[in-house]
Amino acid sequence: MNWIGLWTLTSREVGRFFKVYRQTVIPGLISTVLYILIFGFTLEQRISSIEGISYTIFIIPGLIMMNTLTNASSNPSSSLLQMKLTGQVPDLMQAPLSSLEISLAFIIGGVVRGVVNGILILLIGMWIGGMEVLYPIATIGFIFVVSVAFSSMGLLLGQLADTWDNLSTMQNFFLTPLSFLGGIFYSVNMLPDWAQTISAFNPIYYMINGLRYTTLGFSDSDPQYSFVIALLMSIGLSFIAIFSMKSGKKMKQ
Amino acid sequence: MNEAIKITNLKKSYDKIIALKGIDISIKDGAFFGLLGPNGAGKTTTINILTGLVNKDSGETKVFNKDTEKDFRFTRSQIGISAQEFSQDWFFTLEKLLYFQAGYFGIRKKDAEPKVNELFDKLGLNEKRNSRLRQLSGGMKRRFQIAKALVHDPKIIILDEPTAGVDVELRHELWRYFKELHNAGKTILLTTHYIEEAEKLCDSVSIINNGEVIAEGSPKELMKSEGKEGLTIHLSKSSSKVKNALKNFTFTQEDTRIHFTLKDPEKALPEIIKKIVDSGSHIASIETSKSSLEDVFLSLTGKGINE
Repeated sequence: MNWIGLWTLTSREVGRFFKVYRQTVIPGLISTVLYILIFGFTLEQRISSIEGISYTIFIIPGLIMMNTLTNASSNPSSSLLQMKLTGQVPDLMQAPLSSLEISLAFIIGGVVRGVVNGILILLIGMWIGGMEVLYPIATIGFIFVVSVAFSSMGLLLGQLADTWDNLSTMQNFFLTPLSFLGGIFYSVNMLPDWAQTISAFNPIYYMINGLRYTTLGFSDSDPQYSFVIALLMSIGLSFIAIFSMKSGKKMKQ
Repeated sequence: MNEAIKITNLKKSYDKIIALKGIDISIKDGAFFGLLGPNGAGKTTTINILTGLVNKDSGETKVFNKDTEKDFRFTRSQIGISAQEFSQDWFFTLEKLLYFQAGYFGIRKKDAEPKVNELFDKLGLNEKRNSRLRQLSGGMKRRFQIAKALVHDPKIIILDEPTAGVDVELRHELWRYFKELHNAGKTILLTTHYIEEAEKLCDSVSIINNGEVIAEGSPKELMKSEGKEGLTIHLSKSSSKVKNALKNFTFTQEDTRIHFTLKDPEKALPEIIKKIVDSGSHIASIETSKSSLEDVFLSLTGKGINE
């Protein structure tokens, strides 16, 4: 292993998003505060509690998850695409770095961004929303595993994308709708049967409910099942992203 | 002497376009080697396969006798490449980028520091250490591109069109620096459009055209075997017999000016002088014009390198 190379690229990836924290950290915090204030405090008086949980607190785990997976996936995808468009990919490909080392550095960069954002939103939820966390270690562990899965997915997207349009398509047409449909703002039990069946095919549904269980002790899906799905996704997607890097598809000619 | 780079029967196609038809190149350790050819000849593809940026179809590429795929860690650490295209970065300073580059090659920041300082000094980039790439002029970007290639102190330096788009002053400055690196024992592989650059710097060259090596040797050898030299004689008195006396040579005559195209003027000159004098003509002056690699290129490919 080229440990120094891996460390260098990882610190570049982490340093890059911290340098532009106004784009990568602050927006998620602001939108979460707005969601809590507008959706929570205004609608709370009109929506009865869900399974004995006040509406404001009910939506917080979903907001944490949405920020975590969006940030985790967009760090490697945008960084790699930017490197492609600015001609920096050769710097990596011509260095004595293996595909595994390059992939790990990008995945770790995305995981750090996902976890940092997830924990900051969690803290906001506790501070502004007054949420109490039932299983703190499991919560952080779950945020971590989901970050690995979505950071790996971001790395794969970054490899395949040629334009910013490709990436925003993925974000706007898949990640955001699937997050909203995964039950951030509602319990799936409120949906008709057919919609509940469709929700079972949405992986983000398990991510949101898994985190809702570790924080609030309530979940639409079986929490163990949610954790296994998150774990399988993180292993599967990281393998696919690493193998794609090894093949050089869209990275080498 | 050891071979620094050995390329055997290297082939590469992009879809239906054949980029390399089976290239063989051997570069000795310590050589200053030029890879010449027009745009699209296959120079950059060859280099990119050697450095791992492009996957080959078949053939072998070795660096210090190690395969560039199986032993990529070793072979890539031996090579520093200054690419033709500038890379950009929106986030970090030149200094930071140079430390990153060293880090990718497994060099810790504190170990890279002397080299980083030396390169900033040597390439006149000291004042730009804390600038971003977008703030640099073309010439400065070129200097930085070269610094990046050298930061891990490689034994082999690949310079892909290193003086493209720079002014004459910087070009000469860079040439001096390349010579200095070569004298310090580095093996240099240079690709260039500037024939003069190859003539001045390289001790051996390969000419590549349409994905094939069509000639190789030292510039001198190539000019001798493929090139022709010119000899112009001005007469102060021209005799009508002179044309007939020189019938065994290739020449053109305009009044008192006779221009010969010769393979070896040194050998032919005494005979020409004798024939002219014997014909009753008087010689006023003699000029010779050396053939260049450009002529070699022209005679081999039927077109100029920049066409």
